[in-house]
Amino acid sequence: MIPNCPEGTTFRAESNIMRKEELLLKKKKKMTPKAKREAIWGFVFIAPTIIGLLILNYYPIIDTVWQSFCKTGDFGIGNTFIGLNNYIKLIHDSEVFSTLWNSFKYAILSLPLTVSISLVLAVLLNRKMRGRGLYRTVYFLPMVCAPAAIAMVWRWMFNQDYGLLNHIFNAKISWVTDPTIALIAIVIVGVWSAIGYDMILLLGGLQDIPKDYYEAASIDGSSGVHAFFRITIPLLSPMLFFIIQTGIMGALQLFDLPFMIMDQSSRAWPKVKTITYLFYEYAFEKSNRGYGAAIIMFLILIISVITFILQKTEKKWVHYD
Amino acid sequence: MKTRMVALLLALVLCLGLAACGETTDNGGSSSGSKVIEVAIWDNNQLDGLQKIADEWSKTSGYKVEFTVPGWDGYWTMLEAGVSGGEMPDVFWMHSNNAEKYMNAGSLLNLDEYIAKDDSLDLKNYFEGINQLYTFNGSTYAIPKDHDTIAVIYNKAIFDKYGVAYPTNDWTWEDFAAIAQEITEKGKADGIFGTYCNVGNNQDGWYNLIYSFGGEVISADKKSSGYDKPETIEAMKFLAEKILPACPSPDSMASTGADTMFLSGLIGMVSMGSWNVNTFYTSDNAEDYAWVMLPYEDRNGNGTCEKEERCTIYNGLGWAIDAHTKEADAAYSLISYFSSKEAQIKQAELGVTMAGYVGCSEPFAKAFGDMDVSPFVQIEEEGTLIFRPYSKSTAIWEDDAYNALVAAWSAPETMEEVVRGIADKMNKTLADE
Repeated sequence: MIPNCPEGTTFRAESNIMRKEELLLKKKKKMTPKAKREAIWGFVFIAPTIIGLLILNYYPIIDTVWQSFCKTGDFGIGNTFIGLNNYIKLIHDSEVFSTLWNSFKYAILSLPLTVSISLVLAVLLNRKMRGRGLYRTVYFLPMVCAPAAIAMVWRWMFNQDYGLLNHIFNAKISWVTDPTIALIAIVIVGVWSAIGYDMILLLGGLQDIPKDYYEAASIDGSSGVHAFFRITIPLLSPMLFFIIQTGIMGALQLFDLPFMIMDQSSRAWPKVKTITYLFYEYAFEKSNRGYGAAIIMFLILIISVITFILQKTEKKWVHYD
Repeated sequence: MKTRMVALLLALVLCLGLAACGETTDNGGSSSGSKVIEVAIWDNNQLDGLQKIADEWSKTSGYKVEFTVPGWDGYWTMLEAGVSGGEMPDVFWMHSNNAEKYMNAGSLLNLDEYIAKDDSLDLKNYFEGINQLYTFNGSTYAIPKDHDTIAVIYNKAIFDKYGVAYPTNDWTWEDFAAIAQEITEKGKADGIFGTYCNVGNNQDGWYNLIYSFGGEVISADKKSSGYDKPETIEAMKFLAEKILPACPSPDSMASTGADTMFLSGLIGMVSMGSWNVNTFYTSDNAEDYAWVMLPYEDRNGNGTCEKEERCTIYNGLGWAIDAHTKEADAAYSLISYFSSKEAQIKQAELGVTMAGYVGCSEPFAKAFGDMDVSPFVQIEEEGTLIFRPYSKSTAIWEDDAYNALVAAWSAPETMEEVVRGIADKMNKTLADE
């Protein structure tokens, strides 16, 4: 899916933006020539990023929308418009909904665990204590490793016959082949690899909370758990909101962990297969790009709705002061 | 508006810079003046051998041959982008998974005229199935490069340990199952199994069984599924009742691959493709391993092996040329040389692969020192070669069969029902082609 000749179009779009900017400048009339020059240079400097975004992000998005209405030919040649047919097929395809449910289950299981564990760790590591730097490094380390490498190592630890986990517990648990627990195994890896990053973000948030609040609270007789829920959580809410929102998006887009850790001949696969994998299967393995595009548009729609709802509830519990 | 001009100029320079980057990568390859033929392959194991053969050709042609080896996934991404973007290597490999797609899109050079003019090349000398694979609407789009077959590798150490006689070439699938079960029985305490056959082991596993039993996966005209043929069902039931019980549990097989388990000394014997020989040849316990021909199925019950009773699936790559190359004549001359008898023998001698040219693979049997891999070649004489089943929508029905069979592997008694279900679904897919 290499765009055919995007340079020309983006260049045009780019100069359009410039012209608009100039109109804006004229309207305001407050800008001095110097400020104007600076504004224009500002645009010149962000041009590489904007061009990159247009070519690498926006063009593919529009192309995907278009493809979802097409019966696609190989190599993007010979696409024929078939209207809503892909979407009609999608509504009647039970696999779309079962894989979507798998993605949701992953999000529901992993997100609360990730947020609560990383919050507790962040609070603990925010105190003055011996070896604090070491602990912070240890918890952050999984973030430094390549996800594929992490998945391969876990795959061997989960191996039911020769794996480390079963050896330690002296058990014979089919971690990634038993349909009832395979998803939990994936959640374990997902949570383990995500807490480091969330913890660092929350630590940053915690350090922005002035100590005075706690001092004032302790004079009034509030400390410990009470202070945590009354002071820490509300003041940390913007960061928590950010983590939850990106966490939901990330969880619903889960692809790499099941793909790397599990084998498709595992009987648990249908219980773990995510909707992004279904998209991959249609778009790249069965070369049905059109249907693949429709699946991913469906997912985008769902994520947008969830994000919209989250944004609406934001005012109720997120405090920006 | 001086500043605006400057800004525009700068942006222009940036764009030109980007475009220039694209140019330079191109210059390394297909531009005409430099007398270079760019060749793309995906298998690093074959690079040295092929470079040697290409150097021979360079001596007479005056062209330099440059190889790029992006690896399997990168290879197809590169070609795919090449077809849409117009930047292709001059010469490259084609594979049964993708050939139809590329021929259909017109991205491969039609070789009919070149072959007609070329006295040194006669397609009759090559494996028929490979020729057919690269024929589209009656025209040839790639010349056979090699072929692969299947044989059984066994671990002598395990056979010795449990006092089981080594398999010989004169064995039936019943013998195979009996030996496998015996080893599984005796090896229970040590966690050792007789054989290994997972759902995904079709080309190097149960496809061979189906054809030896007289069944088929797809009909000769590629219009209907062969999964509901009585012989196919019989073969799959044999697999479920006699072979799967001698394998590790489906859960184990889904967690650990056949090569890993075999190399760890946990599997007595397993059928393997000739493309894997090097893995075992270079492993730590290579002296414990030996190869034997695939078993046969004594369908007529006369106690001897007829040719059609011993079947191996084979597949082969083809050399193809970019439809828009500027060096079509030189590129054709190169692939014609690669596929010539002389180069095909050399390819086998160097242990690169077996030849696509019929009867030139003998040297391959001796290319691995003490390890005798002659069963791969012997089966061509004493058995039947079946081309890996394919149609336009292979990727779809193979995947469907795969998903359905996972259930049958866990509950072998449902095999017949599952296989009939596969036939129905596959017939629908084939009807849509």
